[in-house]
Amino acid sequence: MAEQPILELKDLKVYFKMNNGFLQSKDIVKAVDGISLKIYPGETFGLVGESGCGKSTTGRAIVKINTPTEGQIFVNGEDITKIKGAELKQFKQDVQMIFQDPYASLNPRMTVGEIIREPMDIHNIYDTKEEREERVRELLELVGLKPDHIRRYPHEFSGGQRQRIGIARTLALNPKFIVCDEPISALDVSIQAQVINLLEKIQKEMGISYLFIAHDLSMVKHISDRIGVMYLGNLVEVGDSDSVYTDPLHPYTRALLSAVPIPDPETARSRQRVILQGELPSPINPPSGCVFRTRCPKATERCAKEKPELKQVKDRLVACFLYEDNKE
Amino acid sequence: MEKMLEVKNLSTVFNTDNGTVQAVRDVSFDVGKGEILGIVGESGSGKSQTMFSCMGLLAGNGRVANGEILLDGKNISPLAFNTSKDYEDTMSDIRGNDMAMIFQDPMTFLNPVLTIESQLTEPILNHNDISKKEAHDRAIELMKKVGIPSPESRIKQYPFQFSGGMRQRIIIAIALACNPKLIIADEPTTALDVTIQAQVLELIQKLRDDLGSSVIMITHDLGVVASMCDRIAIMYGGKIVEIGTADEIFYNPKHPYTKGLLSCIANPEDKEKKQLNPIPGSPPDLLNIGNWCPFVDRCDKAMKICKMKMPSQEDYSDTHHASCWLSHPLAKEGEGE
Repeated sequence: MAEQPILELKDLKVYFKMNNGFLQSKDIVKAVDGISLKIYPGETFGLVGESGCGKSTTGRAIVKINTPTEGQIFVNGEDITKIKGAELKQFKQDVQMIFQDPYASLNPRMTVGEIIREPMDIHNIYDTKEEREERVRELLELVGLKPDHIRRYPHEFSGGQRQRIGIARTLALNPKFIVCDEPISALDVSIQAQVINLLEKIQKEMGISYLFIAHDLSMVKHISDRIGVMYLGNLVEVGDSDSVYTDPLHPYTRALLSAVPIPDPETARSRQRVILQGELPSPINPPSGCVFRTRCPKATERCAKEKPELKQVKDRLVACFLYEDNKE
Repeated sequence: MEKMLEVKNLSTVFNTDNGTVQAVRDVSFDVGKGEILGIVGESGSGKSQTMFSCMGLLAGNGRVANGEILLDGKNISPLAFNTSKDYEDTMSDIRGNDMAMIFQDPMTFLNPVLTIESQLTEPILNHNDISKKEAHDRAIELMKKVGIPSPESRIKQYPFQFSGGMRQRIIIAIALACNPKLIIADEPTTALDVTIQAQVLELIQKLRDDLGSSVIMITHDLGVVASMCDRIAIMYGGKIVEIGTADEIFYNPKHPYTKGLLSCIANPEDKEKKQLNPIPGSPPDLLNIGNWCPFVDRCDKAMKICKMKMPSQEDYSDTHHASCWLSHPLAKEGEGE
């Protein structure tokens, strides 16, 4: 693809310092340990992984909630890691975020109208308050709420409706890129599909790109064009969502996919499962070499010594030594 | 199949400041010996309260208003006892011994200031006449059974020293302490990651095979029930709207709500991308709910009768039952307004 990516991460690292108290060594949590990826306009990129793998930290670094320790983030070709002032304000119009918990991300003391209008007030999008109110009504309609909900408070809405309010607020500034951090995991099954369909409709109408972060792999596969699989702060496989699901290459992707419960009794009975032993190692002292080697059924001596890089294998990128020798 | 638990016409109500909440409304089902039954429903559908009623663990403002609960033929509904003391005495013998519960959140279920040993030996010492040493050995054996590495040293540790998956294993070990005949698992894997979820589900299945216990699995995840359960009950608005074997529910659903649920989940095995068909609206409020079909406001096939009378149960096979007016001989498809 020769197109310019809307978002590019170059060797992004986000470390957190852990304070273990007086006179004790300070541990470093390597939440995101060097990931690189590109997202193109109009595309949905799904980021999956287990809790603690750094997928949310990546999303939060992109909207500048967490500061990267190293590496660069490019939006539309511009490095945004160090921007300030007016540039930062412009950036915040272009890149927005939908949060996981619709109960915690809306201010209970503001009306729905005030919540959705706030970004427009801050960025001075329209000249008069009336125009802003008009836009709020439009947005409410777009996300499937009624325009007369404008004077109500968040507690009067159900979880799914609140998530719609959050989406309307995100859209207020006409962003080009939205980070969706587990937008449906707090919702009931029958409501999840409503929100997914809404996100797809908005993308079709407004041409927005999404970074879709989730642990529910079935939904990620449904909504994403491409998928990145993360493990302990590293990307282990990146590729087209259908081909990653039908033919996973990295041993971790295989195990992760075979663990997904399939809502079909016959397939569920017949399929082979790779059940991983053990649990996620601590990101404070990640294993040497390949981070997955402690749970990998195919680990060799080399995996402990060297760290595999993301390399082109078939139609996608995989970080595993298993595929180095038989390059096509 | 012999029945382990049989629930007949159970109704549970909660008194609140705003009125009476009918959490469970006239629910009947049974679980055979060695069978895994899944109860699926959204939040507020009454799935957890049904099982809390059976265990006698209802909150202070809740009570069983009607119905029988037969555990291995013995009625343990609070209505079958003369005094609440009689009921409590019987239930404390049964809870943790004949039937045990695996709770959703491994963080809040374990007492943070007690060692794993004291929490694990408590039910063993309560229900059996054995020494502390024997109870300790039994606890170690249980930890081995649920796959906790080096149990001899870890038994002295506290809950915070265990990860989420390991804590859930301890909870399962506590539930298994007295070889219960019936295990009730309330969303046992919701708080866990998929790879850990797969480990825990496999463990529950293996224990059923080894011990022959019956399992009731409460969940909202249709993927989990598809791989685990022999039979599935779908709950909505405090009622079981459909019950049948896993194949009957997934391949031949009868109730519009079941059909709706199945069409709004994504199956990663699908080759082509299908359009998700969400169910419009949101679940009903169980406060002062009317005595008609609870799904009527979200159903695209609703008819006039649906808002007037509760549909009766229709039998499609020995195992497959659903409650919907559409199955009535006088109903024609598409007659809705």
